[in-house]
Amino acid sequence: MDAAGRAAYLTEVMADIDAEVRRRRASGDLPAGLERELDELFLEFSPVGLQGRARLRETLALVDGSAYVDVAVPVESQKVVGSYVKRLIRKTMGWYIGFIVHQIVKFAWAVSRMFHVVVDHVEDLEAAVDAQRTPELPPSAVPTGDPGPSWWSSGAVDALRGVSGRVLHADCGGGSLLEALLATGVDAYGVDPSEAAVEAAVERGLDARAESVIDHLEVVADEALAGLVLSGSVQWLHPNQRDRLVAMVGEKLAVDGVVLIHSATPESWAAGSSHLVSDLAPGRPLHADTWSHLLGRLGFGPASVTFGGAGHRLERVDPSNPDASAINGAIDAVNALLLGPGEYLVVAVRER
Amino acid sequence: VTAVHQFVPALLPRDATGDHTLALRDTLRAVGWESDIYVEAAHDELASEATYFERYPERARLGDILLYQASTASPVADFLATRPETLVLDYHNITPPSFYEEWEEHTSEKVALALSQVAQLAPVATLGIADSTFNASELARMGCPATAVVPILVALDADAAAVDAAELARLQDGHRKGTVLLFVGRLSPNKAQHHLVEALWLYRRWYDPDARLHLVGPAVTASYARAVFALADELGLADAVRHGEHLTEGELAAWYADADVFVCLSDHEGFCIPLLEAMRAAVPIVAFGAGAVPETLGDAGLLLDSKRPGVVAAAIDRVRRDPPLAAQLVAAGRRRLGEFSLSRTRARFVEVLSGLDGGQVRQP
Repeated sequence: MDAAGRAAYLTEVMADIDAEVRRRRASGDLPAGLERELDELFLEFSPVGLQGRARLRETLALVDGSAYVDVAVPVESQKVVGSYVKRLIRKTMGWYIGFIVHQIVKFAWAVSRMFHVVVDHVEDLEAAVDAQRTPELPPSAVPTGDPGPSWWSSGAVDALRGVSGRVLHADCGGGSLLEALLATGVDAYGVDPSEAAVEAAVERGLDARAESVIDHLEVVADEALAGLVLSGSVQWLHPNQRDRLVAMVGEKLAVDGVVLIHSATPESWAAGSSHLVSDLAPGRPLHADTWSHLLGRLGFGPASVTFGGAGHRLERVDPSNPDASAINGAIDAVNALLLGPGEYLVVAVRER
Repeated sequence: VTAVHQFVPALLPRDATGDHTLALRDTLRAVGWESDIYVEAAHDELASEATYFERYPERARLGDILLYQASTASPVADFLATRPETLVLDYHNITPPSFYEEWEEHTSEKVALALSQVAQLAPVATLGIADSTFNASELARMGCPATAVVPILVALDADAAAVDAAELARLQDGHRKGTVLLFVGRLSPNKAQHHLVEALWLYRRWYDPDARLHLVGPAVTASYARAVFALADELGLADAVRHGEHLTEGELAAWYADADVFVCLSDHEGFCIPLLEAMRAAVPIVAFGAGAVPETLGDAGLLLDSKRPGVVAAAIDRVRRDPPLAAQLVAAGRRRLGEFSLSRTRARFVEVLSGLDGGQVRQP
């Protein structure tokens, strides 16, 4: 077999290995999140894993342990003369060493006390900051499962058709959009914070990972993505997290890369989402034109916005009703002025 | 060129840089050039082979070329920065400090200093020699005006060292039924031995409950080594992970002879000599493609683009239950080893250095 033949054979072998891993995932042998749990387990044994307060306290214990200096120099020796000489030196130098050690210990204890004061102060600050922290959306409140193809799927597929490179869908849920993208030849994969949703996607043979979009983008190389679809939790991110996400959209997408943002409209948010989500989410959806503005600042071209979704609009009365004309006119006005469309899809291309 | 003198922080026996330095000195002398070794420190065994670097000025002659074996922080680098002779950097890669930052601050600081020294010398060197294009590109990024890739001089084309039979028997005693995975390299965060432990755990669960992992190398980053073995313990693998260090050549050959698959999941390698050792010992290789690993490995192993435990376990299993594949990898390893043969590398060193002009004098 020549070099090209060997390379082709190794490529086939690697494809077999990938297929074996997918099969194992689908069979439940490799639960989503297991590999991450193994890494987290390792971190428990590493100094990297000792975070915050625990790390400060451990370092402080080291300082305390080092603050004592033993003035009694060991005098054991394998030679009789050696031991005698060492004892003699210790005896004659004892007063001198004792004087120096006394001052060193005094200094060390002062440093140690200072660190205790600093650590106590840091812990007070942490407690104060903690009290003002906006809590995360509880995992039990995060919607799981796959709503299936929705009104914006075909628009998303059209916007990404023909892109060259990897496309990430967050949050991908059970993977309906991923399937549609793969069917058109787009190299798509997904992430979703819900392990249950990812399990379902993996069972369908899709490349999906159980992690949040922000955690995932942190480890993606700059300009590595040709497309990025943001849906689901992007609507209710904490403003600080949303700022981080927006910055990473600009970093991780290649020039000519396409970003798509699907979200509920602010008008339909309270009525449209689950009560748990709308009450407990740390953030609220933005208007479509706000996304257009944010993307424009990052070097994206003019965004196209498509509205859709049923939302929670008032329904018109039956035309057989004698007052139908007047009532429906009022309903249309209320829908247009107060309730608006339920969802939108923003599409923009990175120009620089 | 009439004289090429080497400067090395430490000349140690059974050490890749030490062996390389001695082999290069012999190569240069064989073509009729003067060549001595100047060091900051030398092991007692090699003390007669080297001279303390600060004695060089009294022996310096016009036309000397000074070649620095850059592998760690040393006052030798600062000394060379003050010399007017033509300078050549032989770069063996320095692990980025970020790998050590959370593990050992003093190691992190030491490698940061070593990198800053190389960065100081790179722009004033006439030539940078690197043992991989990965390392050469690092030198170029640091401002080295010209670079050449010449593999490290290692005597791996000779017959494999004789296996220490007693060591082999000790390794196989009582449990020679499971797959033996081997990795050779110091226990250090950039070598990612913890990922090997994770892969072993999954491999045992999926394919071979008796599989074992053999790790050979000094535990230079003690806190990392402790964490690796604590992880093994936590996963119920304390008896399945064995560690060897300070081995003789024959003992190391026994560990290779006992291995079924050589697995490398390092995040950063400047060359990775153990890959060549595995090729010489006819052990099939599975490796994660980081740093210079793809370049050193060529097609002589399964090169992974992910080191998730599932992928690694499946790759090891494929090599184990597909003897023709394992045979192909071993055969490719033999061919690959030929490309790093000592005779070829020696000739390349002479060719690269012959093009230099020792008469150039630079402003320190």
